[in-house]
Amino acid sequence: MSEVLLGIDRLAVSYARKGLALENVSLTVEQGGIVALLGANGAGKSTLIRAITGLLSLHGGAVAAGRIDFAGQPILGLPSHRLVRLGMAQVPEGRLVFKQLTVEENLQVGASILPRRAVRERMDAVYTLFPQLLERRSRAAGWLSGGEQQMLALGRALVAAPRLLLVDELSLGLAPLIVQAIYKQLRVVGDTLGTSMLIVEQNARLALEFAATAYVLDRGRVVLSGPAAEVAASALVRESYLGARRASARTDSAGRDQVRV
Amino acid sequence: MNNPGSRAAPAPAAAGAARRWIGPLIGVALLLYLPVLLTDRSMFGVRLSNMQLLNLGLTQINLMLIAILGALSLTYLTGVAGLISIGHAAFYAVGAMAGAAAGTQWGWPFPLVLVVAALAGGLAGAVAGLPSLRVRGLYFVLSTLAVHYIAIFLITEYQLKFFDVVGIPLKPASLAGFELNTPMRWYFFLLPVVALVYWGLHNSMRTREGRALMAMRDHELAATSAGIDVRILRLKAFAFSSAIAAMAGALFSTLMTNVTAEFFNIDFAIQFIAMIIIGGMGSLRGAVIGAAVWLLLPTIITGFANQAGDSAGIVGRLFLDNKPQLVNLVFGILVILLLLFAPGGIAGIGAQLRERLGGGRQR
Repeated sequence: MSEVLLGIDRLAVSYARKGLALENVSLTVEQGGIVALLGANGAGKSTLIRAITGLLSLHGGAVAAGRIDFAGQPILGLPSHRLVRLGMAQVPEGRLVFKQLTVEENLQVGASILPRRAVRERMDAVYTLFPQLLERRSRAAGWLSGGEQQMLALGRALVAAPRLLLVDELSLGLAPLIVQAIYKQLRVVGDTLGTSMLIVEQNARLALEFAATAYVLDRGRVVLSGPAAEVAASALVRESYLGARRASARTDSAGRDQVRV
Repeated sequence: MNNPGSRAAPAPAAAGAARRWIGPLIGVALLLYLPVLLTDRSMFGVRLSNMQLLNLGLTQINLMLIAILGALSLTYLTGVAGLISIGHAAFYAVGAMAGAAAGTQWGWPFPLVLVVAALAGGLAGAVAGLPSLRVRGLYFVLSTLAVHYIAIFLITEYQLKFFDVVGIPLKPASLAGFELNTPMRWYFFLLPVVALVYWGLHNSMRTREGRALMAMRDHELAATSAGIDVRILRLKAFAFSSAIAAMAGALFSTLMTNVTAEFFNIDFAIQFIAMIIIGGMGSLRGAVIGAAVWLLLPTIITGFANQAGDSAGIVGRLFLDNKPQLVNLVFGILVILLLLFAPGGIAGIGAQLRERLGGGRQR
């Protein structure tokens, strides 16, 4: 019934002199689906995102095998800005807002690919979603708080009415309450617009609550995938990501989890 | 707006509009009066001394107007698009040579000469911008330096082949039979040209492309993920900026009536960088202020040095004997002070003060 929007098939990626960073990775995002990508640092999450968004070469990586299809067409080798026009919006890690432009101008840059008459309407939709942005519309983005900047980065991606939203490390460096508020708004986006999402998230608990499907990457391979509830219930995820202790308490990972949550 | 009767605006709004327009109107009036003042050298019938006019003449003002064009073009490139060029003298030279070719060799009319110069500059700029597809930052700056030397070499060859070592004579400019043969006429030709370019650049920043340029300057990766093709945008920006610089070069050489390729050396390029640093990087107003300071301050300093020399004394003699050094000294100190205390240049000082006094920047 539901169509495949983003299909990654047996993808292998290598960086020069470093060997394979991804091996035999397959992943599907269905139309309207929300998928979480979990994994420790260095598991290959960023590499996968870079491969999807066409930014691999910028980081000295190359696809060794496999294919990626988006909206029914192969996209390997397409430059990043072309993908945006196909309907793939990216929220890069680290809230890369244009600090010297105002909030409004940031959104206008995001709306560059829209026909001119649709711009106002889409921008109003973003302001409805994130009313804080409306209050700050004429303020330079560099003066916003971290949470507001993340909202702006999301708004800039959403203003173009994308079919797929790639969100990389949304919660990084933000207060938990703000992260929850942002995810709530993202839920609204998914429910009302049917936007598909691929979420890369360090905070596994949050991601598994939010997503319908989850993939767990470890050392460049998909080690677990399935409905988010099942993934959350699995022993692997409970131990390594959700901080449930085994009898032989692994203090190091438990300590790390406390920092995360 | 300038016809309040036609709009049923409430009184306070009309008063606000009047207040908003009074400053620009006074500015325009002053700009219209300035050439009369500098030509008559008297105000309301009262004769003014040279120093009361700050040792300035109208031709200097004209040269300043042309320099403003050059500074604006570089500000657009460096301040708005985030690309640094130390090869802008080359585009001036391209414009000068294209102007000489079209005007002197082919005998085309002056307005067409300007168009040819702008087109040649744009084309040269697009070619010169090609390295920006591959290299970034300092490497790109060096590539513009290479472009400068290549362009100057080619233009020198051209000059020697078709003209003379002495330089290329340019046809006096005329607009539909109206000769631009006095400083006053030049002034009233250049002023609208500068205003038009300023207005055009100002508005271009509020278009999609302009915002995309600023987005690219702020963060290239983020601009790409907003769907902007930064490579095409860079080339466009480079070509556009070069076209303006080339037009300024054609105007400059026509005003000087004679032009040689050697004149457009690396110092010539660096003075534009100095202008936009002094005035304020990235602000069009800053480019205007910087060009004005750079072109007029030396004359003013020299004037004061002359006066100090007249009044004798050891300091006066020192000033009189070392006028060029004095100018360099003042400029050097000015640049250092600005970099230390006002990185936003002269145009940024106002904003800096406002920020200190009350909260964040509201635009």
